[in-house]
Amino acid sequence: MKSFTYVIKDETGIHARPAGLLSKLAKKFSSEIMIEKDKKTVNVTRLMMLMGLGVKCGDTVTVTVTGDDEETAFEEISEFFKRNL
Amino acid sequence: MKTEAFGVLQRVGRSFMLPIALLPVAGLLLGIGSSFTNPTTLETYRLTKLIYEGGLLYTILDIMSKTGSVVFDNLPLLFAMGVAIGMAKREKEVAALSGAIAYLIMNASISTLIASHGGVESMAPNSTTTSLGITTLQMGVFGGIIVGLGVAALHNRFYKIQLPQVLSFFGGTRFVPIISSLVYLLVGVLMYFVWPIVQSWIASLGNLVLESGYFGTWIYGVIERALIPFGLHHVFYMPFWQTELGGAMVIDGNLIQGAQNIYFAQLASKSTQQFAVEATRFMSGKFPFMIFGLPAAAYAMYRAARPEKRKVVGSLLLSAAITSILTGITEPLEFTFLFVAPIMYAVHCVLAGLSFMLMHILNVGVGMTFSGGLIDLTLFGILQGNAKTNWIWVVVVGLGYALIYYLVFYFMITKMNLKTPGREADDEETKLYTRADVNERKQRLAAGENTSRLIVAGLGGKRNISDIDCCATRLRITVKDESLVNDSLLKESGASGVIHKGNGVQVVYGPQVSVVKSNLEDFLDSPESENINIEAAKPSQQAASVAKNAKPCTLYSHLTGRVVALSDVKDEAFSAKILGEGVAVVPDEGILHSPCDGRIEKVFDTKHALNIVSDEGCEILLHIGLDTVKLSGKFFTVHVKDGDKIHKGDKLITFDLKSIKKEGFDITTPMVICNSEDYEEIRTVCKDNVSAGEKAIEAN
Repeated sequence: MKSFTYVIKDETGIHARPAGLLSKLAKKFSSEIMIEKDKKTVNVTRLMMLMGLGVKCGDTVTVTVTGDDEETAFEEISEFFKRNL
Repeated sequence: MKTEAFGVLQRVGRSFMLPIALLPVAGLLLGIGSSFTNPTTLETYRLTKLIYEGGLLYTILDIMSKTGSVVFDNLPLLFAMGVAIGMAKREKEVAALSGAIAYLIMNASISTLIASHGGVESMAPNSTTTSLGITTLQMGVFGGIIVGLGVAALHNRFYKIQLPQVLSFFGGTRFVPIISSLVYLLVGVLMYFVWPIVQSWIASLGNLVLESGYFGTWIYGVIERALIPFGLHHVFYMPFWQTELGGAMVIDGNLIQGAQNIYFAQLASKSTQQFAVEATRFMSGKFPFMIFGLPAAAYAMYRAARPEKRKVVGSLLLSAAITSILTGITEPLEFTFLFVAPIMYAVHCVLAGLSFMLMHILNVGVGMTFSGGLIDLTLFGILQGNAKTNWIWVVVVGLGYALIYYLVFYFMITKMNLKTPGREADDEETKLYTRADVNERKQRLAAGENTSRLIVAGLGGKRNISDIDCCATRLRITVKDESLVNDSLLKESGASGVIHKGNGVQVVYGPQVSVVKSNLEDFLDSPESENINIEAAKPSQQAASVAKNAKPCTLYSHLTGRVVALSDVKDEAFSAKILGEGVAVVPDEGILHSPCDGRIEKVFDTKHALNIVSDEGCEILLHIGLDTVKLSGKFFTVHVKDGDKIHKGDKLITFDLKSIKKEGFDITTPMVICNSEDYEEIRTVCKDNVSAGEKAIEAN
């Protein structure tokens, strides 16, 4: 299991577009990728749940990656956050 | 209570607009036609060679005059019907018919009493008239209005009455003309005894006018204006115009009596140096406020109307103002504010009286055929020369009047917030249904509700019903899908038989069917009718299928507008299907509807998008416009909140289409299924133009 904590810098937060991209990216991996905000945890591949979190600019989220390809998944997902969010 | 009465009054005022809309046209026809067929006019201006009885031009003008006049002559009937239509809550056509019948009955009743008491000769002069061939009391539009209001009240009370089985054919709406006839028979009798008393009281005011000099002229003007709505002005001014009450004068050796007769005798006489103001004081006062004052008041109402309503009210006010200016027919204009703002009318009466008095003082001698428009001013003032008429004062005083009317009216409307045309609140119609109305409706509903509920279910739900009508014994319904009709449920509702003819279904209830129909229509208007679940009656096929998280489902268009394939949407997140499969619509109107029954999962804080989970488990994202997250909620109004149960077609978000476009955003609004992977096939079943609520997507 690998995890990282991230403070959202993008003005609009995780709205439809980044959520879609993130969700799509997550589906590439066999690992289970969870995202947590304010003690609510959802699976990143569940696009609607992800949007439902309502992550906004300035929010702190924790992403946890568990599974066979957690190394690469962790790498790519954290890269995605840095670049897009 | 006060606001309630006010609301009713406003509704009355609005119900007058239907007949009033006709008046400017009729007024122009009448004004132009009658001015140029008046024998004295023709002779004075030597037009007899051009316009003579039997000639083409005369005939055309005469047709104009008569067709215009027939509208004004029958104004009471138009009001009886128009007001009944405006005030009836439902089945308005029945109210209109009842209004017409009641008006005839009332007059017939009065007519018979007049005949049996010695005929018209035994009545006071000018107190009677002929309406639709019936000799009756002169009551003006007041007669029509009391019929219209009364009939509407009877109608709203009785249109759903149920009579004992033997008489049931006469129940429901059919009862309305019957009861209206009976009631107005009695009203007619009552009027015969009451109205002449009022009339004689009014006529006696004439002496007051004669004894009071200039002030008397003012009284004359005020009273004449104030009586117009009641049709009482005829008994009042006619004596002045036509009898010795209005003065007597020897002209060219003949004794002439009555103001108008004197004026026209002077007009025909070659020896007239100046027109006698003793006669014209009963006429000239109309010019300043008809040509200048009232049109300025119309402009004030136009200016006071809300900007978005100005165009609509502008056309009404402008045509009414032109009619007043040209012909001196003021009813179209006066009636627009008389009922909604009686206080404005009171001010108008006072100013009108003052105008008569000023014309008297300034020695203005302009006569008229019947009213004070530009046509009459030209013929009987300007063309006669200022030396004879002092007509220039009409213009001078008139300009002052225009200013005063504009300022006074504009001030009153805005300060007192009077609801003149174009100032009504938008939700007026809904507002008028106050709690009392709602409760009353609930009670009425309760009676027929169970029956209606069964009928709706039997017909395959509200959405399956496209049209309802009834004949003497049968409810006739057109349904969209005939296979959804359930005969046994319909019979359970009290029907003695069900007949199918393609998409037409006839359900036989017997003579009380009109009540069944009214109840059914009421029920269909209530939100409850949406909840009738026809699936209960039909074996469900949905429960059996699909092992996945989501069951098959149909989504209906979320908007009205033009369909765009998702792959053509100019946003990669959608066009590359990153957010899921779906379809987009470029909306024509800013109302986002629910595409299915389900629950609101999440409304985005920025109000431009929301997530829905349908009852079948389909996860839907509705996203208004592209990149509109940047608007931070501006121009969007959300009508639901997280966790709300919603139904197909519910209004979810309204948005300001124009402003969003103006800000440079693409308004294309995708509807995508976020859990597309849960479905084998997602098919778009709409194309080109779509209306909200039409089938859009089938997901299997």
